[in-house]
Amino acid sequence: MNGKKSFGGGGGRGKAAAGQQGKDGQRRPMFRRRKVCKFCSDKIDDINYKDVRMLMPFVPERAKVLPRRISGTCALHQRKLRTAIMRARQLALIPYTTE
Amino acid sequence: MSRKYELVYVVSPEAADEQVADLHTQVEAIVQRMSGQIEKTENWGRRKLAYEIGRHKEGTYVLEVINGGGDLMKEIDRRLKVTDLVIRHLVVRVDAEQGVVERTRARRTEVSRRRRVARGLPPDRQPGEGQRGELDDDRDDRFDMGEELR
Repeated sequence: MNGKKSFGGGGGRGKAAAGQQGKDGQRRPMFRRRKVCKFCSDKIDDINYKDVRMLMPFVPERAKVLPRRISGTCALHQRKLRTAIMRARQLALIPYTTE
Repeated sequence: MSRKYELVYVVSPEAADEQVADLHTQVEAIVQRMSGQIEKTENWGRRKLAYEIGRHKEGTYVLEVINGGGDLMKEIDRRLKVTDLVIRHLVVRVDAEQGVVERTRARRTEVSRRRRVARGLPPDRQPGEGQRGELDDDRDDRFDMGEELR
């Protein structure tokens, strides 16, 4: 339960738990840069389906939507991002999948 | 009641430029007939499709921003569906979204101005001010996330 709780807390905190399970059982603090939402920090308000260059970093190799736990995007922007990606996919600007 | 819509359609690569232009005039005719107006037209030209549609590997993209009612867009949607030359199209209503974007932007500038005034600074950002330059080349590390995936 505890582990799950920190998972939902977005990016940075969940990683501290992972650091505790070192190879030799020692507790080693793991420092990782705290993730911030790219759209919040860059003050991008509209996530547009036409701007493929902006969307591509969030569509990794297999053409899936990059999960929030990796990108650090906030919930609001992830939702908008997802809509934009789905629209761009309909227009064949972004692939649904790659072989 | 007028709303703003964005229409993007992908024309088959076999179509000549005149056929693309012809398609545009067809859309224009419907818009005018149903008392709407075209705000903007953009031809993105021919680009590669991310996946094959039928046997096509590329297509000509055209964007139209249209002011009009819902029944107008319904009619355009219907017409594009039966047009063989158009291999894909998408209609998106944008006015509500745009309003939200403008409001958040206005609120943000307003808040920052108020804060700056409270700190005894002029309300607008002066040139050469700020922790990091907005157009500096450190921008390209914006996307350096997801390395742990590889």
